[in-house]
Amino acid sequence: MNSIYAVVGILICIGFYTILTKTNLIKMVIGINIIESAVILLLVALSYKPGGSAPILDKGYELVVDPIPQALALTAIVIGASTTAMMLALIIKIFSKHHTLDVREIRNLRG
Amino acid sequence: MGIILHVLLVFSVLIAIFAVSTKNLLNSVIAMSVFSASFVIIFIVLQAPDVALVEAVVATGITTGFFVITLNKLEGVK
Amino acid sequence: MRKLISSITVFLLGGILLTTFFTMPEGAKELSDYYISSGVVDTGAINLITAILFDYRGFDTLGEATVIFAAACTLAFLVPKQKVHMLSARFSVIVQQSISFILPFLFVIGMYLIFYGHLSPGGGFTGGVVLASIVILTTITFGISYSDRQVRPRVKSLLESFGAIGFVIFGLFGIFAGGAFLANGQAGFDLGIPGELTSSGLIPYINFMTGLKVAAGLSIMFTSLIKEE
Repeated sequence: MNSIYAVVGILICIGFYTILTKTNLIKMVIGINIIESAVILLLVALSYKPGGSAPILDKGYELVVDPIPQALALTAIVIGASTTAMMLALIIKIFSKHHTLDVREIRNLRG
Repeated sequence: MGIILHVLLVFSVLIAIFAVSTKNLLNSVIAMSVFSASFVIIFIVLQAPDVALVEAVVATGITTGFFVITLNKLEGVK
Repeated sequence: MRKLISSITVFLLGGILLTTFFTMPEGAKELSDYYISSGVVDTGAINLITAILFDYRGFDTLGEATVIFAAACTLAFLVPKQKVHMLSARFSVIVQQSISFILPFLFVIGMYLIFYGHLSPGGGFTGGVVLASIVILTTITFGISYSDRQVRPRVKSLLESFGAIGFVIFGLFGIFAGGAFLANGQAGFDLGIPGELTSSGLIPYINFMTGLKVAAGLSIMFTSLIKEE
């Protein structure tokens, strides 16, 4: 479990650093996606119990992992896909107006 | 089980670093798809088959399709 | 300079996150213990995640479907719709034949995932996305004019509205039967034998409505992204 927490921390740091330093808009969207995946991994890791089985109570189960964080993670993934699509549509509009993806040049054009 | 989990965790960190540091945007989009695919196996190891299915279909499939279509429309960008 | 400040911020954030994760207290889990012990009796669905998503927290799922609806509407408004642009890629005969061979199997998988959502991993969201991928594969392979002729945009928006309204109407059934909004077992619907296909009351129908809605919404998003001025 400890290694999963460490990996979640590292992935959130990678995504945050990407959003802060990269100047390409698509790279920023990729950073946001990495943070989102890391948070979902944290939710799934919180639900895990050693020796537990998946939350499908067919027959012959003893210990079952926690189903609530998994349901929340499922909701988060689908909403993340639709917000990603919205960000990409906004990027297409910005590109057709300014003909660049660089954040600094877009800011200069605004004057 | 523990070995597979740890190898996949290290692999996902490496592929995330590659995705944010490469210059070619198409490379980084495909690397994001591989990143999500490694997460699918991690979720199966952690006993979350529902989340793994949704991640396989949404994050590995549809989101990559959105990114590739966007890159296709933004021709002439580095 | 900018990279230095960003690195310091990120290191601070990482330290805070890691100390938080490693000193996180193990909370009491009474609610999940209740769901595990009596979820099958309450809802009739043996997949606990579907039971939580469509019965205990059905209102959250309605909100999620509304988010997808709002995103599809925003995309359709943002991207102009006068002229349709073909993708620049041309595929060979092998790709076209194999894609048209795969499509019926994808349809079967999507419908299986939707209708067995309360028995096995899957559910309305996964099946809906698989159904949307049929439209997306057709669009990429054969071009958007062919895809629009097969599944018309008017049909897609009709299906999306049908899914949303159907979800709300099945929720209102609970009120008419004397329970709360989106009530299933509490309102006295027949839950059946857990583990059979026609069990767990209203959950399969709500699953089907969500699947229609997600499929139509995601394909509308994709075709809006592909269009060009």
